[in-house]
Amino acid sequence: MKLGNLLIAGLVTGSIYAVFAVCVAVWYRVSNILNLAVGDFAMTGALGVDYLYRVRGWPLPLSIVGTLAVVAVFGYVYDQVVLRLAQDGRRRQEGIVITFFFTFALSFFIDGVAKILFGTDVHAAPALWNGNSLTVAGNLHIERAGVLVLGCAVVSGVMFALYIRYTLSGKAMEASGENNLGARIVGIDTRRYRRIIFVITAVLAAIFGIVESPITGFTYISGATISVTGFIAAAYGGFRSPGRALLAGLVIGIAEALLGGYVSAEYADTLLYAILAALVLARPRALGFESAIGA
Amino acid sequence: MSVAYGHVVAVHDATFSIGEGEAVAIIGPNGNGKSSILMGIAGLVARRGDVRIFGTGAPPRNVMWTARHGLTLVPERRQLYPNLSAADNIILGCYSWTRSVHKARASDAYAFALDLFPDLRPHLRQAAGTLSGGQQQMVAIARGLAAAPRILAVDEPCLGLAEVVSKRVYEALARVHSAGTTLIVVEEVPRRALEICTRRVEVRNGIAA
Repeated sequence: MKLGNLLIAGLVTGSIYAVFAVCVAVWYRVSNILNLAVGDFAMTGALGVDYLYRVRGWPLPLSIVGTLAVVAVFGYVYDQVVLRLAQDGRRRQEGIVITFFFTFALSFFIDGVAKILFGTDVHAAPALWNGNSLTVAGNLHIERAGVLVLGCAVVSGVMFALYIRYTLSGKAMEASGENNLGARIVGIDTRRYRRIIFVITAVLAAIFGIVESPITGFTYISGATISVTGFIAAAYGGFRSPGRALLAGLVIGIAEALLGGYVSAEYADTLLYAILAALVLARPRALGFESAIGA
Repeated sequence: MSVAYGHVVAVHDATFSIGEGEAVAIIGPNGNGKSSILMGIAGLVARRGDVRIFGTGAPPRNVMWTARHGLTLVPERRQLYPNLSAADNIILGCYSWTRSVHKARASDAYAFALDLFPDLRPHLRQAAGTLSGGQQQMVAIARGLAAAPRILAVDEPCLGLAEVVSKRVYEALARVHSAGTTLIVVEEVPRRALEICTRRVEVRNGIAA
């Protein structure tokens, strides 16, 4: 059934947007920086594993671990070198426009390196679960990679929710996002949480890139589209509400699939962004944008 | 110590000592540097000079260090986490000495903090940002106590609070002091603070004596 299959495809894409939107929102709460490089980490995961496995001939598990390790180390070093200087130094950089450029520049840097290392062709990490698409409820189809994407989204979402709800460290991370000063007063190292979240975001994005790339394929500039959509979905939560960001990501994914299936595959994205922009203009407060402006 | 904000000197010279177990009121008119002294001691703002807590020099501008070394600040305007529950706000006070939520919940410090403010019990699950000013101040003090501090420094505990609520807050602070905690209270209205404090440090034009 066409609608059902489109909804499933939309749910798969939407869950990626949702996870990235949550990553953007959670990190923004703690660091006050918008992570525009989140999609580029996904691209790095996909193309990195492809490069190590197909070009260098490494075993697949080692290719995955190696790529994730490089992404984690790079994220850590970037925080230590750039973000620490910018945020923790004597001249702390504030203001959304200035801090915007820290990850905007990072995105371009990653794209540039990726172009040199991986070239401009479309590549993908090898499928982790080989086989035809699965048939569900008679005539609904879902790609195996799509099942993995949904599985990763659910697992990471549940783990995050449990961490926040039931551990003191999770509550401390929330506190860092709610009130940086109030968090430091009780001994919470908010800079450390900023660093941890940035590294986890990078690795999680890379994992999603690895798992999803067999469906769509990636080029060195694929990350930008994912980053922008994750950014927009996070904006619908005021960049501060992971719950709203998640919901927005899912809705955008489904809307994109339905527009592509029923209106125009070629202009689906154009229409989608036009609708999103119109919604923001029409009802900013209802969609959470006022809190984004005030943030 | 001295504290300056850019070219504006808020505290020219504050030189005093506080003995363990004392209750000291830092008093003086508004805008004379009282809060800046407390923030300088706690490490919330940059300072010049030397602050020693239990004999160890406190690094300037490191409020996390002071929190982990026995001095907990209850800041002016509370600085709570508005979307977290009152209970979560309080239990985060335990972060300076444990990462285990179970140990925190079972601790004497947490129990004492809750016991001090029975009015908060029906509101523990409520988001802190939705509580009244008086309730928020109680949460802020309870959070400070959950850290099991040897020194509790409270900045303007009754700012914006009704008289009846202020009385309750000071009764709680008196109990905290009787339990053995060293107390430092910054207060614009000396009458209230001097009912429970044994010493005073007067601040005028950024100079404390």
